[in-house]
Amino acid sequence: MIAEWFGRAGNFSLTLLIVTVYGLLVGAFIERTIAKVQGRIGIPYRQPFINILKTLVKRTAVSHGIMFYLGPVFRIAGGIGTLAFIPVIYGSETFANFSYAGDLFLVIYFMFFGQLGMALGAGESGHPYSAIGIARGLSQMTAYEVPFALAVISIVIQYDTLSITEIVAAQQGGWQHWTLFTNWVATLAAMLAFLGMTGYSPFDIFLAPQEIPIGPPTEFHSAYLSLLQTNRALFGATKLVLFMNLFFGGATGWIELMIKTLAIYMVAVVVGVAFPRFRVDQSIRFFFKIPTLIGIISIIYVQMMFTS
Amino acid sequence: MVEGFITQVLLQPLGIYVVALGAGFLVPLFDRAHRSSAILLFFLALAGMVAIAGINLLAILNGAAPIQIETAGIAPPFAINLRFGLYEGGFVLAVNSIALLGALHWLPSLRQHASALLLYLIMVMGINGMVMTRDLFNLFIFIEITSIATYALIGMERTGSVLAAGFKYIIATSVASAFFLLGTIFLYYLTGTLNIDGMVAQRELISGPIGFIATLFLLTSLLIELKPYPANGWGLDVYETAPGGIAALISVGVSAGVFFALLKTLPLLDNYLSSIAVVGGATFLLSNLIGLKQDNARRLLGYSSIGQMGLLTLALAATVQLGIEAQLPLVAGGLFINHLLAKAGLFWLADLVNRNSTRDWSVLAGRPGRLLLFGILLSALVGLPPFPGFWAKWVLVTELAAGGLYPWITVVLLGSLLEAAYLFRWFTQALQTRESDTPDTIRLESLLPVALAALLLFATGYGMAVQLESDTLIMFLPLLAGTALWLLDGLPGLLKSLLMLVVVAAGGAWLTLDLEGLNRIFGFILVGGGVLLSLATQYRSDVRKGFYPLLGILLLSLATLLRAHTSLEFFFSWELMTLSSYLLVTLGRGGAKPALTYLLFSLAAAYFILAGFALAYAASGSLELAALGDTGSSMGLVFSLLAAGFVIKTGGLGVHIWVPGTYGEADDDFTAVLSAVVSKAAIFGLLLVAAQLGIRSDIGLDPAYVLGWIGMLTATFGALMAVFQEDIKKLLAYSSMGQLGYIVTGIALMSHLGWVAALYLTVNHFLFKGILFLAVAGVVLRTSERLMYKMGGLIKNMPFTFVATMIAIIAMSGVPPLTGFGGKWLLFNAMMEKGWYWLAALAFFSSAVAFLYMYRLLHTVFLGQRKLEHAQLREAPAILLVPQFLLIGIIMVFSAYPKLLLEPLSSAISPWLAGNLVWDGLSLHTHLGYWNAPMIMGVVAGVWMIPLLFLLLMSLTLKIQKVGQFNIVFAAERPHRPEDTHFAYNFFAHYDRALGFLVKPRATAFWNSIVEWSHTLAASLRIFYNGNGQTYALFIVMYLVVLFLVNGGLQL
Repeated sequence: MIAEWFGRAGNFSLTLLIVTVYGLLVGAFIERTIAKVQGRIGIPYRQPFINILKTLVKRTAVSHGIMFYLGPVFRIAGGIGTLAFIPVIYGSETFANFSYAGDLFLVIYFMFFGQLGMALGAGESGHPYSAIGIARGLSQMTAYEVPFALAVISIVIQYDTLSITEIVAAQQGGWQHWTLFTNWVATLAAMLAFLGMTGYSPFDIFLAPQEIPIGPPTEFHSAYLSLLQTNRALFGATKLVLFMNLFFGGATGWIELMIKTLAIYMVAVVVGVAFPRFRVDQSIRFFFKIPTLIGIISIIYVQMMFTS
Repeated sequence: MVEGFITQVLLQPLGIYVVALGAGFLVPLFDRAHRSSAILLFFLALAGMVAIAGINLLAILNGAAPIQIETAGIAPPFAINLRFGLYEGGFVLAVNSIALLGALHWLPSLRQHASALLLYLIMVMGINGMVMTRDLFNLFIFIEITSIATYALIGMERTGSVLAAGFKYIIATSVASAFFLLGTIFLYYLTGTLNIDGMVAQRELISGPIGFIATLFLLTSLLIELKPYPANGWGLDVYETAPGGIAALISVGVSAGVFFALLKTLPLLDNYLSSIAVVGGATFLLSNLIGLKQDNARRLLGYSSIGQMGLLTLALAATVQLGIEAQLPLVAGGLFINHLLAKAGLFWLADLVNRNSTRDWSVLAGRPGRLLLFGILLSALVGLPPFPGFWAKWVLVTELAAGGLYPWITVVLLGSLLEAAYLFRWFTQALQTRESDTPDTIRLESLLPVALAALLLFATGYGMAVQLESDTLIMFLPLLAGTALWLLDGLPGLLKSLLMLVVVAAGGAWLTLDLEGLNRIFGFILVGGGVLLSLATQYRSDVRKGFYPLLGILLLSLATLLRAHTSLEFFFSWELMTLSSYLLVTLGRGGAKPALTYLLFSLAAAYFILAGFALAYAASGSLELAALGDTGSSMGLVFSLLAAGFVIKTGGLGVHIWVPGTYGEADDDFTAVLSAVVSKAAIFGLLLVAAQLGIRSDIGLDPAYVLGWIGMLTATFGALMAVFQEDIKKLLAYSSMGQLGYIVTGIALMSHLGWVAALYLTVNHFLFKGILFLAVAGVVLRTSERLMYKMGGLIKNMPFTFVATMIAIIAMSGVPPLTGFGGKWLLFNAMMEKGWYWLAALAFFSSAVAFLYMYRLLHTVFLGQRKLEHAQLREAPAILLVPQFLLIGIIMVFSAYPKLLLEPLSSAISPWLAGNLVWDGLSLHTHLGYWNAPMIMGVVAGVWMIPLLFLLLMSLTLKIQKVGQFNIVFAAERPHRPEDTHFAYNFFAHYDRALGFLVKPRATAFWNSIVEWSHTLAASLRIFYNGNGQTYALFIVMYLVVLFLVNGGLQL
């Protein structure tokens, strides 16, 4: 029993390492791509690693209290945990992680774990910008959650299961079985929600990364920040894996995973480069119009196509 | 010889007249000697009249034959005869007792004039005569005697308005008497007798145009004397202006006499039963509607009196129409005795308080004893348990349903609700202290008659309960416990709290431990949970007059609710719960007004439930709750009515407007009980009707589907409204509303999994909402604030409260690994299994919205910048924290091993809905998904510990410096005022801009406009009351004409 647990934990550590490194590299790749579009050179691939290392070894650190201290812990635990509940490589026992503890529903709800803990930590810093960022982020989350939920319900009806492994299994046997093609309406709704989820422009106001130090991480520095930076890469990659599993046929190997996730990510990046930022109320209204409508259609569609 | 006189004459019913006339003759003589001796004689006479009535009634109750009294030793029809049977005895005893108490009350005025004593005796004797006589002409005489005595008594008060009112009174009653005499003459012409029994025996002779006219005159006269709308302005004027002592006797005594006259002549008026019912029903409904506009206390009582007599008339006509005269003592007798005692008591109280405007009754504020009396009388009048009116209305409504007279049920319940609205508005005004009030000067002993009336209400209520129910002792147990606790109300607060806990724990355990299935589960939540949360009441050591007895009644009535086998037992406990929780809400600072809204919505809910039960009784012929399913074709309607009632109590969308005020203004520790425990009674009720009715395949799915939507929309809008609250208790109130919405949807699913979800959510809501409200109680105690933006940074002062709040919020949010996730997972699975996809999507949205208010609560209160004046605050008292951490312990256990909870829930549901939860070890499987809670707990603990250990390791090398409050990176400046820096007010302004339009207070506007329309309608209905005696006389004549036309006078 104990040995089994340690075995699983060991396997998962491997997954974690690969996904984190991959996430950081993808981050750098995206930064470089954007820079090229904007006519700059951009950062080297090692930059994200250097950033984490630099913040980690900072010699000064302040704390605003126990929740502030625990905020980043919650945040990265949320990232790691979400990954832990997702089977990463289809057909691989090694990379199935702890996915038999719970289904898709667990993953969706566990994504909030880190956000909530982080929000509490940021709150204790006493910085108004943190609170404003959280208020904006949470508000936006309620909006993109709607098309996403509709899309998820649509594919749950389609595959008649909540198990991610089974959903991936149902998409095997060729690209024509991917949800993207069998249920393109749900995929469309989910991908629109995905734009909000990644926090790229036009839905990046809660972080406002360019101009002012606003958003939840405002007060975090040194080792705290290194945890947050790691998590951003990890959590971002985890979400990509989830979307790949649900809509793009999953992956039977790491190469396939990287190609697919990068392609999914590029959607957000392309949109982000092309469109300016929404205010929060605008983005909420946006999600409640077309994406929600598409989500609704996806359920009607799936009922017409797959249930009789 | 003397002995013979006493037993043969004096103790016989005829003795009442002998005593009254004799004393009446002697009073002026005694008065010559000494006023006191006259008064003594007066009281002796009244007491004698009570005693004679009582002795004879007792004999009849023991099986003696009704007493026939022949005057002058000659049998009727050649002489007048009187009868003293069960009905007569009851009425006479009641009227004479009230007369005695009334005399006691009125003594200070009565003793001014010896003639008043004489008139009083004559008046009471006149009423006795109206009740007992069997001779129509003699009845006329007694009506006249009573009217003249009444008029003279009214006239004793020599102010202009009283004299004017008295004059209108004499005009009106004279016209009515004239009608009566005309009717009597025609009847005599037709039948050749004046004896009522003789006329009834020759009923067939009373026909044709003359018979029609004769009975029409008789009917009109009696109805007019009962003051029907709109020909009753003269009566209202008297009620408003006459001294309380006489107004009380007119309202209950004279009206009783007239009512009895109607009762005994009813066999002659059997063609008019529908008219009588309409007159009674319309008067009841419209008087109570107009009462809404009234703010003069006495005139208000007048409207209520007229309404009550209308209800009695309706009940009488309906009972006879349905041919269920056997129920007459319970229905008419119950309503009558209820009205008699309550209304007399209120008129006397109005006399003592001596404030015209109901607003000025605030002089009673802060006087618990007086308010208690006032409240008892009002509750009785509204028909709340345990008073006679409750039982009478129950029987009336169930019988109306059984007879298919559904419109009358609506009239009775709507009228009762309107009556409750203005009576309890009055009570609300009495509860609110005002600066300008001068203390009232009521002497304690002068309250004695009022107190006796209240006591008699309890006694008669219990008497009726014994007639109707076998398990009365258990039903009355909460009240007995409450009374015992109330008698000890002088003890110190902490001791009372302890006593209450012991009583409730012992009583509750005795009542609920032998229950099974669903009832047992709810026993743990309602009683066990109630006791656990009530531990926290120890945090206040002040006296809290009335709080502990009421809380005891509330919690024990929840226990008896679970034991109920019949719908009557259920409804009794339900109403007891409503009443006690209402009174508890009024005890909160500023709680009086929201409590009124709470009461009115609760009563509306109760009336839906009553209508549902009545309909079920009509369809199945049984009061057993288990027979609810045998209701055949009315099943859908019964289910809808009952479900509507329970949904109102859960605060369903549209009928939720009572929630924020009630939860906001009730005492902080009581709010925890109210939200975490009392709201579950409605869930229990809903589950009960769902089990009996909702799961039936022949009901059709539609009501359940509608219920599902109501629940989920409530969840969504509850969450949205909570997001925009600044008041911490209102935020939690809306949150409660929303969370109960999920439970309602779970029940509406009518599937095994749906119900497991509903019960799981119920337990979970109890756990986290109990913690949250207790935590808030601690915060409010320390900061004296309820507006969240006025707090901030309290984590430093109240770390334990923060931790409790945080855990409760995680448990509410549905974030794994705590209990909330299980609830969301079960509900989602159940909805998908059922194919309720749109509801599932809405559930996703509303649980996402819930994150907003949950974070807002934690952030604005505990995080961010602390206010300078809060620097020295201490942690909440331990006694508040203990129940919170006990609940956290339960949350933790159920989070790690939900099987412990789910197994009993599932097996409690199995008898109703087959289906088992599929377990694979500790992993729960549904058709769609799986959930292994212990493993999730393990993984989460692991992934949480690793970064924590890493950070701790880093901390060893880093010198982490604790910094002060304002030490933040703030655009190169150092903020120095938390008010500038704490982002809290209007936290979700952008969300408001985007979605605020969804939560414009439409429901409030709707209910406000209902109130406004009612008032406007009431105002326009008052157009008939112009105060002019001539107009009033004209109305009376027109009433005759209308009755003539309506009953087909032109076809003759």
